[in-house]
Amino acid sequence: MYMPNADIRARLEATVDPEAGAIPMFVYTDPDVYRLELENLFGRTWLYVAHESELPEAGSFVVRRMGEQSVIVGRGDDETVRVFLNSCRHRGMRLANEDFGCTEMWRCPYHGFTYGSKGEFLGTLIGAPYERQAYPEGLDKEALHLIEARVESYRGMIFATWNLDGPSLDEFLGNVRWYLDIVLGRAEMEVVGVPQKWIVPSGWKLPSENFCADAYHTATAHSFLARLKLVEGVDFGRDGYHVDPGGGHGLGIGVHDPAEGSYFPDSLEAEYARNLDAEQLGLLHRVKNFHGNVFPNLSFLIPNFIPMGDQLVSGMMLRLWQPIGPDKLEVWSWHLVERDAPAQWKRLARKMYVQTFGVSGMFDQDDTENWEAQTLNSNTALTRPDEVMLHYAMGISAAPLDDFPGPGAAYDGKFSEAAGRTFYRTWLDALLARGAA
Amino acid sequence: MSAGLAVDLETRLAVSDFLIAEAAALDERRFEDWLELFTDDVEYVAPVRVTRRSGTPDIVDEITYFDENKQSLGLRVKRLLTDVAWAEDPPSMTRRFVSNIRITPGDGELAVKNNLLLFRSRGDSGAYDLIVGEREDALREEGGELRICRRRAVIDQAALGTKNLGVFL
Repeated sequence: MYMPNADIRARLEATVDPEAGAIPMFVYTDPDVYRLELENLFGRTWLYVAHESELPEAGSFVVRRMGEQSVIVGRGDDETVRVFLNSCRHRGMRLANEDFGCTEMWRCPYHGFTYGSKGEFLGTLIGAPYERQAYPEGLDKEALHLIEARVESYRGMIFATWNLDGPSLDEFLGNVRWYLDIVLGRAEMEVVGVPQKWIVPSGWKLPSENFCADAYHTATAHSFLARLKLVEGVDFGRDGYHVDPGGGHGLGIGVHDPAEGSYFPDSLEAEYARNLDAEQLGLLHRVKNFHGNVFPNLSFLIPNFIPMGDQLVSGMMLRLWQPIGPDKLEVWSWHLVERDAPAQWKRLARKMYVQTFGVSGMFDQDDTENWEAQTLNSNTALTRPDEVMLHYAMGISAAPLDDFPGPGAAYDGKFSEAAGRTFYRTWLDALLARGAA
Repeated sequence: MSAGLAVDLETRLAVSDFLIAEAAALDERRFEDWLELFTDDVEYVAPVRVTRRSGTPDIVDEITYFDENKQSLGLRVKRLLTDVAWAEDPPSMTRRFVSNIRITPGDGELAVKNNLLLFRSRGDSGAYDLIVGEREDALREEGGELRICRRRAVIDQAALGTKNLGVFL
């Protein structure tokens, strides 16, 4: 049944059926859907903006995006991290035009309006040049305070939202926190350098759902691994657990035989044991790979451990799939490592990250290929008289494990799209402004 | 060495011919030949470029787009030669232009800065990417042949406008 976009909400309501494993292709890139996403999703939900290690001292700031909006994430002179719309209250000019830096105040390069590190308009003389002559009636300092987002953090991950009275970050993350503890909370982590950034002609949901709920593609898209004998068969994609923690988040954990012992550095074991409970630590010791997505567009990955010399190594990362249009995104990819890891481990982990992931990564290359071609097909699906429905039913009748230690619905084996169905349910409810996003 | 020239003409021509031949090996997808042009102890990196205020460094070496040695370059080449290297199969059409060669002789090595203009098109959309930057190479003679023992390729973009670096710099 063809439904024109005149009523995009009705079309979404009639065609998107996550619980049946049915998603229409047009939603990947439809401009009307994208408009709704920017307003009802990116304008409302919690969004990852930075890792605490990127803001080492008072005055440190990085420039990031929430949806398409540029924001300044800055550590104030009181050490508190705040997030401001990167926009002068006078004429909307950008205050920070660099990727990162350290400053006591932001001075607008257009008319000189100046703001302190807490977002406060600095008032007479400092705030606006010739203020007494130009504004003899005075300026309302309060009204000129920078537009500020709500900020909360979890395990070093800083999130912000424009929804000032919605759910807390803890409520929003819910069950996925238990898993983020293992990925990012097991030790004090640090960002290595800066994010790699590159532009991919793909809708933002395609990579998000890939990290959330697609372990199945690895055997085909990344079959070079087996072809070059870096791994055996499809086990690296299948053995382990798929987890639907709820809330639109999703993850997969690849595990190895516990008899092999932990793949992580021995010297960090005490720190891991301090930060994780016994169940989390037990799982960490079996991790071979660990991928997932925090709704809507923050992905994390401990890639498959691959031998480098006589050592098994993996280089972990955080990813933002930053939308810059209905069918285009900017990838931001950060490499993180345990701050107290041995120097040799850090060196090898970084090498492994760059060689396997990131813009030149042998895995990432193949993924961008898929997302671009899906995007091209989605764009043409907009004009078809029939709705092109896609298949999201893998694992739809599987029952979750009842003895898995972590929260949420965990499934035996990674081949399931359960969390992908919840991703689209959460997404649909947010777009139609039903329930909390 | 001729008066007034830091590097003699013969060396200049040899370096220029070498870099042009290297570019041809890549554009013609003769990857195994290309790999032979590197010494066994080669370091091949491409630092990340960032947008900073004037007067602050805009190159970050702490994290890179490539972080390779001979073995990992070899693995990338092996991958390209499989029938499952989807990102480059069908392959990009590439054309590399190498210019502005500046040679400084050193201790058993030649420091060779050169500009790279890499044209890349793929598929039938008519679109193309330009990957542009400076390569800081170090060349050494081995068995009477010039070989690359270090390459640091600095790309002139803070957000790369190409969907992947499935091509070598």
